[in-house]
Amino acid sequence: MSYVRAFGAFLYDFLIGDAWELFVGPIVVLVVAWSLIQAGVAAVVVGVLMVVGVLMVVALNLFLALRGSI
Amino acid sequence: MDPFVAVVPAFLASAVEAVEALTIVLAVGVTRQWRSALYGVATGLAVLALIIAVFGTAIVLFVPIGALRLVIGSLLLIYGLQWTCKAILRAAGAKAKHDETQIYGALEGRLRQEAPVPEHGLDGVSFAVAFKGVLLEGLEVAFIVVTFGSSAGQLLPAAAGALVACLSVALIGVVVHRPLSRVPENGLKFVVGIMLITFGTFWAGEGIGIDWPTGDLTILMLVVAYASAGLVAIWLSRAMLETRRRRRGGAAAAFAAK
Repeated sequence: MSYVRAFGAFLYDFLIGDAWELFVGPIVVLVVAWSLIQAGVAAVVVGVLMVVGVLMVVALNLFLALRGSI
Repeated sequence: MDPFVAVVPAFLASAVEAVEALTIVLAVGVTRQWRSALYGVATGLAVLALIIAVFGTAIVLFVPIGALRLVIGSLLLIYGLQWTCKAILRAAGAKAKHDETQIYGALEGRLRQEAPVPEHGLDGVSFAVAFKGVLLEGLEVAFIVVTFGSSAGQLLPAAAGALVACLSVALIGVVVHRPLSRVPENGLKFVVGIMLITFGTFWAGEGIGIDWPTGDLTILMLVVAYASAGLVAIWLSRAMLETRRRRRGGAAAAFAAK
């Protein structure tokens, strides 16, 4: 059981670590992009929005990190 | 797809992690016992090779390419964002950079406090620390090799790229015989992070049904867009930190004057 728990902790640290927004953010971006594709929005528009979404995730992470750094 | 697509990120990521693993192995070898440390390294590398072979082959053989690109693209996006954001924060000065000399010194001190090295036979501490160091640092490389290699259909070139990087770092380590603190680890991490985000976006996009109008040229456009945004983010973060420090300094000076 302790091995399972240790593996779970390792996996959590590997994928989420100390920045939950870098795990949740890309998933949200992809779900929104998929929904737009299903709604018939042009691929090029969805692609650009996806990049903007990823950059917003970076901005959110930096904002949260810098807010707590000083 | 060009084999370099998988080779370059695997090589760079492997070089960064190999530098970190080399620090651990050097500290163990110098402080305790080289033979056990090298056995630990060999066992760690064998486990990593097994992980890459088993997972890489299984993924390539059994997972449909559409699902593969969505899952792997998402993982690359998540992982690439972690590497890039940390590199940006380190470059801006908000997070401490990896200092191999300092890490080496601290580890050396801890190892000297362990039980003495046995006079005959292998030293369990040396083996365990070297094994764990190689395995943990190498898991990130294995992840990148498996994801990049299987998505691009270039598992062998990716593994070869990682192996060449490890051997190069080991060779340099043997020659200089001290931690490689002059390797620009943070810069390399930034470059690898940008590549991971780029391919993550490209493949996850294809996985959800985006047919990129410019084909493979999109990859180059994404690299330029993300790298430019990353450099601007470093500049902005530095400026933000500087402004806050100045404000704090000014407030403290005003308080002292009162």
